[in-house]
Amino acid sequence: MQALRTAATGMAAQQMNVEVISNNIANMNTIGFKRQRAEFEDLLYQTMESPGAQSSNTGTIVPTGVQIGGGVKAGSVYRITEQGSTTATGNQYDMAIQGRGYFQVLLPSGETAYTRAGNLSPNDQGQLVTPDGYLVQPTISIPQGTTQVIISKTGQVQAAQAGQTAPTVVGQLQLATFLNEGGLDAQGDNLFMESAASGAATLASPGSTGVGQLLQGYTEASNVDAVSEITALIIAQRAYEMNSKVVTTADQMLATAAQVKP
Amino acid sequence: MDNTMYVSLSRQVVLRRELDIVANNIANADTAGFKLEDMMTRADKAAPAMTSGVKSPVTFVMDDGVARDFRQGGMNKTGAPLDLAIDGRGFFKVSTVAGERYTRDGRFKMDDTGKLVTQDGDAVEGGGGNIVLDAAKGAVSISEGGVISQAGQKVGQIDVVNFDSLAALSKDGRNLFRNDTNIQPQPATTAKIRQGMLENSNVQTLTQITRLVEINRAYDSISNIMTQTSDLSRRSIQRLGAVN
Repeated sequence: MQALRTAATGMAAQQMNVEVISNNIANMNTIGFKRQRAEFEDLLYQTMESPGAQSSNTGTIVPTGVQIGGGVKAGSVYRITEQGSTTATGNQYDMAIQGRGYFQVLLPSGETAYTRAGNLSPNDQGQLVTPDGYLVQPTISIPQGTTQVIISKTGQVQAAQAGQTAPTVVGQLQLATFLNEGGLDAQGDNLFMESAASGAATLASPGSTGVGQLLQGYTEASNVDAVSEITALIIAQRAYEMNSKVVTTADQMLATAAQVKP
Repeated sequence: MDNTMYVSLSRQVVLRRELDIVANNIANADTAGFKLEDMMTRADKAAPAMTSGVKSPVTFVMDDGVARDFRQGGMNKTGAPLDLAIDGRGFFKVSTVAGERYTRDGRFKMDDTGKLVTQDGDAVEGGGGNIVLDAAKGAVSISEGGVISQAGQKVGQIDVVNFDSLAALSKDGRNLFRNDTNIQPQPATTAKIRQGMLENSNVQTLTQITRLVEINRAYDSISNIMTQTSDLSRRSIQRLGAVN
């Protein structure tokens, strides 16, 4: 019975929807997290009688035909890369990107990953690293004896040292931009990798044309909206229930057919 | 076998197809741009039946076609700049490997070259070609008439087309409609594009659940008729065939 299989596709799709929503809710307080959305498409249609077919010798045509759909499938899980709100932390190594762009991170494997999470800190050698200890590229070393670090909107890092009047420039941060940010490959740990869908990374200084600015002392909150996620969760749950109702109905009809006495 | 059985069977076959269609509607209750369908049935008097002495016309149930309800679905605000909904009659034009297709699902995105594509990567058509955006130029703004501008400059135009008869369209899956007839699409005049919104599926789940119950009960009662008919003939055979 087609209806049973159709309802099963509906239940599977809604189950995936709940998985995506629960991941969004779980990451509500993850710095730099971008919410995701499961997108659905209808499946192929089986054409029993095609529209426009001749229904008689006098040229009358079937106006709409009989097409029966096979249910639904998850087309893609789309990442919505809109800006999250910025939260003041007061930490001088925290940076939020306002606008487009990703920090570059050197993975232990030698590959480059990208992140929006700007909660950085210096390691034992004074180099700027992510919470996992991965080096931020280009490498910025904070000299010993630094009393204050100043990061400009355009990514220039200056260090003020005791006994010196003017701060010294210790490096320049760069941001990577992509034509299709939604196509980046999520790796976990707030990291993304370049993919065939995202296009190649373009490096530029923060604040240049089409690239976001840095905001020192702030982090970018996740862009998950709790109310809309909960609403989506309710809709998904009800949709799941209704598909299970179809399974029950199909089952009852099969039982009825089996009970016809010869 | 007599006609009651065959007529009942014709209804049961159609009921099963109706259930398939309702199942598809419910499975797609959350699919953007999906259009509700329902089975149309007709009474077929012309069909020959086994009429052993029966004069009354025997009328079978036939499936006549699938009616598609193209009414506007509810709007859902998403805030994503490349989510587009059509308010009014019309379709977006999509170019796929299999030819031109039409859709009301406006969940578009940019691919790695900046081209505006559907979620399957098929190009959205506009102004006689593809639409290419440059993410570096800043926010994309799309007017009601489909004019796309970035940083105050027009960078493209999204086509919205309509058909004189929507019966020309058949469904192709993946939220796309196919035109197999020679009815040509016309530029839509009344439709407005809404940026940052999506059109929900126009399936009203409550009605569909009611249809489910209806189909289930109808199937049940037809099945009852069949049991009773069979009972009747069994009893006739027993009584008339009794030797004493």
